[in-house]
Amino acid sequence: MLRTSLQSVRALGSRPVTAAAGRQWQAAVVRRAAVSGQRYYADDKKPAANGPPKIVLPASETLTAPSTPTPALGAAQTVADSTISPENAPLAPSAPGTPVAPLNAPAASTATPPPPPPPTSLPPRPRKKGFFRRLRNYFLTLALLSALGFGGGVWYSRVNDNFHDFFTEYVPYGEQAVLYMEEMDFRKRFPNVANRVTGRQRDSGEQVNIPAQSGASWRVADGADISGRQSSGISKKVAAIKDAVLPEKAVPVVIEAKKETAVLPKTEAKPVVKEPEKPVAAPAPAVADAPAAVAAPVVDVTKPPKTKPFKVPEVDEPSRWPPASPIDPLAIKDANEPVVQDLVRMLNDIITVVNHDGASEKYAGAIWKAKNELDKVGSKIRDIKAGIEKNAAKEVKARVDDFDKAANELVSRIESAMSAQETQWRHEFESEMLRIKASYDDKVKLIQERERQIAEEKLNNRLLEQAVELQRQFAQGIKQHVEQERDGRLGKLEDLSTAVAELDRLTTGWNDVVDTNLRTQQLHVAVDAVRASLEDATHPRPFIKELVALKEIASDDPVVDAAIASINPSAYQRGISTPAELVDRFRRVATEVRKASLLPEDAGVASHASSYVLSKLLFKKQGLAAGDDVESILTRTHTFLEEGDLDNAAREMNGLGGWAKTLSRDWLGEVRKVLEVQQALEVCFTSSLFAGYLVTFCSFC
Amino acid sequence: MAETTAPQPTLPPARQVSRPVSEALLNEKWDHCLSNLLIKSSLGLGFGVVFSVLLFKRRAWPAFVGVGFGAGRAYEECNSSLKDAAKEIRKHA
Repeated sequence: MLRTSLQSVRALGSRPVTAAAGRQWQAAVVRRAAVSGQRYYADDKKPAANGPPKIVLPASETLTAPSTPTPALGAAQTVADSTISPENAPLAPSAPGTPVAPLNAPAASTATPPPPPPPTSLPPRPRKKGFFRRLRNYFLTLALLSALGFGGGVWYSRVNDNFHDFFTEYVPYGEQAVLYMEEMDFRKRFPNVANRVTGRQRDSGEQVNIPAQSGASWRVADGADISGRQSSGISKKVAAIKDAVLPEKAVPVVIEAKKETAVLPKTEAKPVVKEPEKPVAAPAPAVADAPAAVAAPVVDVTKPPKTKPFKVPEVDEPSRWPPASPIDPLAIKDANEPVVQDLVRMLNDIITVVNHDGASEKYAGAIWKAKNELDKVGSKIRDIKAGIEKNAAKEVKARVDDFDKAANELVSRIESAMSAQETQWRHEFESEMLRIKASYDDKVKLIQERERQIAEEKLNNRLLEQAVELQRQFAQGIKQHVEQERDGRLGKLEDLSTAVAELDRLTTGWNDVVDTNLRTQQLHVAVDAVRASLEDATHPRPFIKELVALKEIASDDPVVDAAIASINPSAYQRGISTPAELVDRFRRVATEVRKASLLPEDAGVASHASSYVLSKLLFKKQGLAAGDDVESILTRTHTFLEEGDLDNAAREMNGLGGWAKTLSRDWLGEVRKVLEVQQALEVCFTSSLFAGYLVTFCSFC
Repeated sequence: MAETTAPQPTLPPARQVSRPVSEALLNEKWDHCLSNLLIKSSLGLGFGVVFSVLLFKRRAWPAFVGVGFGAGRAYEECNSSLKDAAKEIRKHA
């Protein structure tokens, strides 16, 4: 029972915390108190479950009433009771049928109440609602199961690490839930620290820093150094006493560094070598100081200091210092001697080796000697160098003198050669100049001569031209004279010839006149023939032959041609009707015209018939009747015809209109033909006459 | 002369046949109209007689009606021809 209550506390405790932030811790505490109250109530319920009257009571007040006597455990619980009672209240009435329900579900109280109602409500409800209910139940159960599964997963993930991994990785929100549970657990365990820790945890999420002293350092000597410095004199003392290995240990390190630096700048000059030397000197004293400082007070205490002083004055220090310091001057003096450098390096190497071995005592003398030797060698080499330099200087001086002499000689020789060459060149130049001068003079002379010749020739040419011109002028003058004289005589001859030609023309003109006279006579005859043929005929007959003859005679007289062309071809092909015929035909036409004289514009059968009948009743006119009506026109035409005036008759008939004109069309055509022929003949006749007169007139004038 | 006379008689008759002289235009039309009248009225008469015999128990009026139809038809044709001629004349004038 206690466990279950604890679990429930956990479960309930988680809920408020999810809702509240870290600040609301107090509220959470209060809630927890409430939970504890619940636990108490659950405990109390057991006896209550045994008593049936509790189930029967529906009101919440009844619940509080029995709970009041129980809160003897603490004052806080009484406070919690008042808050919790409403929470628990619904539980009791919701499950009235089952008294076990409240017993089982104090922890997961919310999920259990829904299932009981369905069995009660199902039977009365229709099937449709049953389906919805089932659906709802299904979802509810599903949600319940999933919640239970999730909760179980969260719980088991805290038990089993493998499952924890699986759960946090694959279940959504699983990780958060598990983390939250863990956090809650932690808080529960350390209620005092929880708040601080949580706050810090949040902050430290980013601030996590590894302290400087933690972890392994890359430096070996550093740790020792620090310890050496930090440690008090007593602790150091012990360390120093232990053995002299400590300084030695430090020294090798230093020497190693030196070695590295020395090896790298091998080719470089001494100053570079010197630089690594200094750091060596710095730590060395530092290392040495520590023991020295320690040693100073400890000297009289125990043996261990012995080693230190022994080191300082006797072997180590001098043995170590000298190798460093004597090398410097040596190197500086013989910086340019590679041999010495090599030797120095060798010696240094040997020293380092010796130091390494810690056998500096043994070899100190030897090394010292070697150093001295090296010094000597260096000085010797310097001496030798100086001697050689002196000799070299002498030699150089002698050589320079020789060179000077030689140069002087050379210069003098070159000067003489140059002067000789110069004189020679001058001679050559002069001779060349003379030669060139002569040649140019010749050329100038030649050119002058040529020019003179050209000028002379030009003058000659001009003279010749003048002579030619003069001759031409003379010839022209003579010609003019001759022409003038000849014109005087020839002019008269030409006049004579023109007069003769005119006479000839006159005679030929006379011949023409005679000819044209003849032709006109012929034309006249032809025209007469045509006219006779027309007049003779009692009935129309063609007169093509006569016309052809006329045309031939007229040859190319345009007037006659035009006149003949104006005649209608049908006229001379079929002949023209005589005046008697025309009159006869007119009478016939006149009767017909008269019949149609009274017709209106758009005449039908009736109007034609009436016109035919009424025209018989019209009075006939006589002579040249006045008026524009058809009857008077016909009368006038008749009179003109009787007089033989075809022209006027045709004009009168032409003035008709409508049916009358249509009926008289053919007669008019006949008359026109006759008139045309008559006119053409008249034209031909007059033209022939005129031609004859013209010829005679021209001949006379 | 013989040559000239020879072609003359041949040409005019041909002309005469093809086209009447202008003064005879109206007379010709009248001739046409009369002949037309005769033919059409006789045709109508014939039809009228036949109808009267076949359908109308030898009554007289169908015959008269037929004549009237024929004569009217002829009259109308003549009228139209004359009017057409008048129109042509006016157009040419």
